[in-house]
Amino acid sequence: MKETKLGEFEEVLLLLVGILGEEAYSFKVAEEFESQTKREVSIGAVHSTLNRLEEKGFLESEMGQATAERGGRRKRIYTITASGQRALETSRDFRVSLWSQFPAFATGKLNFG
Amino acid sequence: MNKTNTPPRLAGKLLLMLLRADLAEEVLGDLEEKFYVTVERKSLSKARRNYWYQTLHYLRPFAIRKTQSTNSNITTMFKHNLLLSFRNFKKYKSSFFINLVGLSTGLACALLIYMWVNDELHVNKFHANDDRLYQVMENTELANGVITQTSTPDFLAENMIKEFPEIEMGAGVTPSEWFGNFTLVEGDNYFKATGQYAEKDYFKMFSFPLIEGDASTAISDIGSIAISEDLAKKVFKTTENVIGKTMEVQLLNFKYPVAVSAVFENLPANSTESFDMVLSWKMWQDMSDAIGRNVHWGNHGPDTYLVLRQGTDIDAFNQKIEGYIKSKLENSNVSLFATRYSDRYLHGSYENGVQAGGRIEYVRLFSVIAVFILLIACINFMNLSTAKASRRVKEVGVKKAIGADRKSLVFQYLSESTLLTFFSLFVAILLVLLFLPQFNTITGKQLSLGLDANLILMVLGITIATGLLSGSYPALYLSKFNAAFVLKGGRISTSVGQLWARKGLVVFQFAMSVILIVSVVVVYQQVNYVQSKNLGYSKDNVIHFDKEGRVMENQDAFLSEAKNLPGVVNASSIQAIVVGSQNSTQGVEWEGKNPEENVRFEVVTVNYDLIETLGIDILEGRSFSKDFGANEENLIFNEAAIRAMGLDNPIGKSVKFWGKDMKIAGIAKDFHFQSLHQKVNPLIIRFDPSQTMKVMVKIEAGREKETLARLEDLYGEFNPGYSFEYSFLDQDYQAQYVAEQRVSSLSKYFAGFAILISCLGLFGLASFTAERRLKEIGVRKILGSSVWSIVWLLTSDFTKMVGAAILIALPISYYLTSTWLQDFAYSINLTVWYFAGAGAVALLIAWITVGMQTLRAARVNPADCLRYE
Repeated sequence: MKETKLGEFEEVLLLLVGILGEEAYSFKVAEEFESQTKREVSIGAVHSTLNRLEEKGFLESEMGQATAERGGRRKRIYTITASGQRALETSRDFRVSLWSQFPAFATGKLNFG
Repeated sequence: MNKTNTPPRLAGKLLLMLLRADLAEEVLGDLEEKFYVTVERKSLSKARRNYWYQTLHYLRPFAIRKTQSTNSNITTMFKHNLLLSFRNFKKYKSSFFINLVGLSTGLACALLIYMWVNDELHVNKFHANDDRLYQVMENTELANGVITQTSTPDFLAENMIKEFPEIEMGAGVTPSEWFGNFTLVEGDNYFKATGQYAEKDYFKMFSFPLIEGDASTAISDIGSIAISEDLAKKVFKTTENVIGKTMEVQLLNFKYPVAVSAVFENLPANSTESFDMVLSWKMWQDMSDAIGRNVHWGNHGPDTYLVLRQGTDIDAFNQKIEGYIKSKLENSNVSLFATRYSDRYLHGSYENGVQAGGRIEYVRLFSVIAVFILLIACINFMNLSTAKASRRVKEVGVKKAIGADRKSLVFQYLSESTLLTFFSLFVAILLVLLFLPQFNTITGKQLSLGLDANLILMVLGITIATGLLSGSYPALYLSKFNAAFVLKGGRISTSVGQLWARKGLVVFQFAMSVILIVSVVVVYQQVNYVQSKNLGYSKDNVIHFDKEGRVMENQDAFLSEAKNLPGVVNASSIQAIVVGSQNSTQGVEWEGKNPEENVRFEVVTVNYDLIETLGIDILEGRSFSKDFGANEENLIFNEAAIRAMGLDNPIGKSVKFWGKDMKIAGIAKDFHFQSLHQKVNPLIIRFDPSQTMKVMVKIEAGREKETLARLEDLYGEFNPGYSFEYSFLDQDYQAQYVAEQRVSSLSKYFAGFAILISCLGLFGLASFTAERRLKEIGVRKILGSSVWSIVWLLTSDFTKMVGAAILIALPISYYLTSTWLQDFAYSINLTVWYFAGAGAVALLIAWITVGMQTLRAARVNPADCLRYE
């Protein structure tokens, strides 16, 4: 049985795949990650995580079309599966529940100024 | 355009090789896209670097190709061979250790020698102009042959530049050894420093990098001075912003104000030059004028260096300059030639005007020793593995029966020996790291085991070659057996040829060991002889120091006070210490001189009592003394000089010396003022206290410490603020033979290692033979044989081999040592005892090695070894 919990990095990548839609392949996901988080990441690390998410059943993939800028090579496009979507929702709900138990926030007294 | 803006191909190939096949397309595509994006956003080089970064980050477990070749026959066999090798090492521990110790000491010796040789070969090679940097040499034809030297007329460089278009730059340089120490005065502080004068292009010709200042103006003015990093730190406590700081330079009674114009990096260890500062040529000319030195075509002093233009044919150039001095000066007997500056270090000796070896001989010698030691270690391996072949024939038989062909067996044994050499290499590197500091002390070098590509390649090369060489014979021998024969229990009878081969190898090993023993003994005796030879003057308990400051201004007062100190036997002063090179001249005329013949005289300038201080014998006539007037007009000649001049009853005769009429006042017994490499040359001792630079003091033996303290006090009274730096004459004498001493101690060690490795091999063989013949020994003992007759039976074979080795080695070692001794004009006689002694030592060592094994075998209880059958 594969581990079905989502790590922080996994969760971000899963969301990015969702955001990118048709354009969700390793290079684009890595680019998007860097531009959204301002953190450096190697394509290999992204690819390895996407691969793991696919093994967990949160993603599925198929080869897309070839384009000229990649020397006529095809790319692997990832899409979120239903269980992937569910995992994201669970994760979000869990956080929201935690936030709501945070007294300062719950009473709206937290001053972020 | 060669470098197009495509991703690095090597990285791509690497990916294709390592990546899972099904991932290749998408990954390469992604990386390529990333690459072009980066090219656009940043730069091509950044993109390439990023491509590599991305490639390396793809080396993750999920992406890497799973090794599928585990079933391949080659790897299986390789693993199997490795396993067998390890099992063999474990099973036969003694031969494994003998081989390991032998090969690792052999490799360690070879490594050390390689590092030393490599360093020697690179001395002075670091100059950017190396291939064009030449030194001008002079050949002087004399009655008794041609003398080659580096002294040239002062203005040779500047004249040659004008007349020969091939010359790009040139500079005269006065060697720093001429001056001893200069004194630098900065404020109230005094510093000592060695230095040389050089013409202005010096720093452009030689690559001594400047930290501050400009190479073209570093020494262009009479008041400019270039100082080393260390000197700058000593004087100014910093190397920064010292340009323009002022000092005073003092030498003899000369004083010049100077301002720092350049700071150069400390001279590298692989440079033979040694100086703390460089002064301008103008200052040298000013000093020369002041002391009345005549600069003309017949006066030879400084060294001259040239940088020739690119593409100059040196042979043609040498032909052009050969008669240059003769064209300027009629009747000159001097011809010129230029030689590569960096070649001078290894090829520095000239005989009769022809290049004749030099340090390169030691480089060759030690390279040969390294190869020999490795060979000896290889032979051990060959001998032990072929001798023990019978233990492995079954293994070979089974393998062959299953279908192994000869090639794979050869491969197996070669890989076994190579594996062993790699083990040994590991141990050898540890040994080298351990002994490198001592090795550096002995050789006077600063070697380190750095990660240098050449060194690594060389080490791997040596190791693999050693492995293959030592494995070759056993591999061919073992793989030859007939499977059916050995499996049926047939014994391997060693053929006569193999026996001879094995014996031959042992003989070869021991012959080399004997040669090394003889060489070590002879070198050691000669070095001893040189150090203890009666030189005709006494160098013991004589100290010398620079005459400077007020010691120079009031030298008579200083010397007479020094003589009155208790513990001081005598004191005087001299121009340069007697050891080493002197001034020389051909400017002597006498009655009956053959005008065609030139005789070169060395000239020593002295003060009163110098002859007495050094204990030089006066055979006839008198020494310089205050009791006689006009000492300046008298000369003392040595016996060699009188012989060369062919004078009878020389005392009182007049000679013309440097154009002045002088009288021969005395004849000194020949003494060795130069190194024992040379015969005693004609010598003139002249009297001129004002030109002496060194104070020499003879101290009573046994009272050195107190007397030195008194001298220091006296010196301090005269020169407050100066430091009293003296040295012992006998140490300077020893320094002349540093090269020989190094060879002596190095060869001692290497000979020791060679013998150790040979003995290990012999030990292994002896123990193996004893083991093989254990049953025979048992039977013999039962039949009444005594322990000693069995020991004799077992040792006689080895005795014969070592005897043969000695017979072969002695003539070779005689030839080698007598050739080496020819380099010395005064040397020991080779007596029979050196050779007989070396032979006896080798035999004794062999007996002890073999004896221990055989005695143990001979004392075995026959019941024990015959019980199981």
